[in-house]
Amino acid sequence: MADVKSLEHPTLKVPYEILNKKFRTAQKSLDREVSHVQQGVGEVEKCLSSEGGVKAKDITNLLGNSCGMVEKLHVLKRKADESILEELTAANVCKRRLEHLKEHATVTASNTVSTGTLNQWRKKRLDRMVVEYFLRNGFYNAAIKLAERSEIKEYTNIDIFLNSREVEKSLASHETQKCLAWCHDNKSKLRKLKSTMEFNIRVQEFVELIRKDRRMDAIKHARKYFPSFEDEHLVTIQKVMALLAFSVGTTLPDYAVLFDMRRWDKLIEQFRQENYKLFQLSSQSVFTVTLQAGLSALKTPQCYSENNENRNPACPVCQEDLNKLADPLPFAHCSQSRLYCHITGLPLNENNQPMMLPNGYIYGEQALEVMAKENNGQIICPKTKEIFPFKKVEKVYVM
Amino acid sequence: MEACLAVEKDVDKVLTKFESINDHSNRVLSELVNQLDDLKNELQNAPEDHVLTNVQQELLKQTMTKVKDTISRLATEHRDLHSSVSKVGKSIDRNFVQDFAACSREDVFNSAEKIQIINKIICQHYYRQGMHDIADALADESDINVESHEKEPFTELHHISESLKNKDLEPLLAWATAHHYALEAQNSSLEFMIHKLKYIELLRKGPAYQGDAITYARTYFRKFVQRHEKDIQTLMGMLLYVQNDITQSPYSTYFTSDSEMWLEIYEMFIRDACQLLGVCVNSPLITCINAGCQTIPALLNIKQVMMQRQVTGIWKGSEELPIEIDLGTDNRYHSMFACPILRQQSTKNNPPMRLICGHVISRDALQKLCNGNKMKCPYCPMEQAPQDARLIYF
Repeated sequence: MADVKSLEHPTLKVPYEILNKKFRTAQKSLDREVSHVQQGVGEVEKCLSSEGGVKAKDITNLLGNSCGMVEKLHVLKRKADESILEELTAANVCKRRLEHLKEHATVTASNTVSTGTLNQWRKKRLDRMVVEYFLRNGFYNAAIKLAERSEIKEYTNIDIFLNSREVEKSLASHETQKCLAWCHDNKSKLRKLKSTMEFNIRVQEFVELIRKDRRMDAIKHARKYFPSFEDEHLVTIQKVMALLAFSVGTTLPDYAVLFDMRRWDKLIEQFRQENYKLFQLSSQSVFTVTLQAGLSALKTPQCYSENNENRNPACPVCQEDLNKLADPLPFAHCSQSRLYCHITGLPLNENNQPMMLPNGYIYGEQALEVMAKENNGQIICPKTKEIFPFKKVEKVYVM
Repeated sequence: MEACLAVEKDVDKVLTKFESINDHSNRVLSELVNQLDDLKNELQNAPEDHVLTNVQQELLKQTMTKVKDTISRLATEHRDLHSSVSKVGKSIDRNFVQDFAACSREDVFNSAEKIQIINKIICQHYYRQGMHDIADALADESDINVESHEKEPFTELHHISESLKNKDLEPLLAWATAHHYALEAQNSSLEFMIHKLKYIELLRKGPAYQGDAITYARTYFRKFVQRHEKDIQTLMGMLLYVQNDITQSPYSTYFTSDSEMWLEIYEMFIRDACQLLGVCVNSPLITCINAGCQTIPALLNIKQVMMQRQVTGIWKGSEELPIEIDLGTDNRYHSMFACPILRQQSTKNNPPMRLICGHVISRDALQKLCNGNKMKCPYCPMEQAPQDARLIYF
């Protein structure tokens, strides 16, 4: 169960953040509609308290026409229904994910029957991790296919990534509209995170105007947008404004940097990171973190032995690609010897004593006895192919 | 489990609250709408120049106050839900580990080259699982080249294992015949098992097919006589009972444990085929990820302890994980020698040495135990010269 606790935080936190966001928008739209209705009520009340007789026609007008009070109340009702329904949907996503995670506990608790179901659950977990890894790397098609194929779509955060794909795409084609809309949507959160996203976008817009040699427009743009950032970014603003004095082909490194097209890629990268932060996703995917830990736990010096002589085809870290991947990682820790016979794969212990050939190689007693019987008392070392009589084999004691 | 339950409790609370506010707002607002509609209709039906009576005015005023109160209460009620909603978030943070990446190094896997390797590994994993569409989609999007010779064997294996599940032996037989020599070199009895199963299937069809069964045995069993003499004798013995009911004979087990034999042949095929291809029986990616899921909680724990004691420094740049992770016997693939004196894993620079008396310690330990030109074994009384110790290989 500890693994669920340590690894599933994002699985639950993302739908929670969505729920929270839904709650805020719901509250906002409720407040807005409520104030509309109240405005209507106010008008009716004013009319009622006016001097002299109150005409029925005036009241029906206030209540009835297309922007009358009754209509406003209808709108309020509809909005309330819609927003609360959305909140319920968001909360139910949380609930369903929790139920999926709880399955793991029930499976592990009843350990008698269910290695199959446990493996199935683990396979699904791997698929969930891979989907997230795909999404982070922008392999959207593969991610969607996989999620559908293993029926885990509701347990993955595909939706938020698909939203961000739209923004990324537009940034890649050098458009800022969608990203600005996103900044606007998440304004309060971004402010809390001290995000520089909007500022960087505005700077980029300014640079693009200059690139197109629309310097007057650039100045207008700067007047309109830069003042709100002056507290934090005054130095940058000053530097960017100096661009007005340079041509696009400038070779001064400080300014040429600003004209660099790769700044767009940086914006995309920044957008990704900030979007992760917004949903409290870590900057690394669960998949790579887990893979790293797993490779370390399995990695032994033997996997990197010279000439690969000690490689075991069943060992994951001995596989070509994983071997390369695990190279910079730490080895597993081992304080107690665990020895296996290289011939049979059986553990070496009091029932299968480790024995040393004259060349220093160690094998299990059982395997050597069988080999001696089959070869008239001769032992052929499987690694060096040297031949020794069985009598020359010596015992080894490993504490 | 407790973690899930704790969060679930809060989520449930939110759900019930939302449901009740949903009902509530629905009811209250409909009531208001109806009331106002009634009022409106009443007033509309009044004559053109009707002036409201005092009662009507009073009624209208009351309704208006009611509308105002109700809707502002509704907005407040909704706002009050915020505390329950944010409790869910806090509960998630409290019960689940937020910073699960604390024990990994971000820089190791984010070079383009490493990402390509990872993509390739994932690709191979899905080829193995028979999910070719996903592997192909990934290969397509990530620009990796999976050589056809890397995926074709898996395509074939997957096809065979699928047909085995449908109790169709032909594809497997074709494969085994094609790899006859390789399988023989591996000491595999897969091919014989296939013929055995086919022979038994023939006998199962009843006495009418016994001629066929005999011809089949003559054609195929001959080349296995060397290694499977006993088995073939048993199989031939079955012919004695064909006329009577075989299930009542000493050979009945072969006919009742049918699905077991299919399962056995399936497992044998997977094992032998993987050996033939030089790949692990289980997908290496699954093994790694499962190991990782087991390792991370332990690493996070130890990391926390280290933070409390302010010794985080030893984490960075260390050659080994700080603690031993027991992955179970299934996941041990190599002999590991840990020096019993220094409690350290042996390395190339500090290899295991066998003393004359047979005890094994590491070379560093040996040097430390030296006293001039002599040393005493730490486990037995024998005195010896350190240069007599022998380097050994596990």
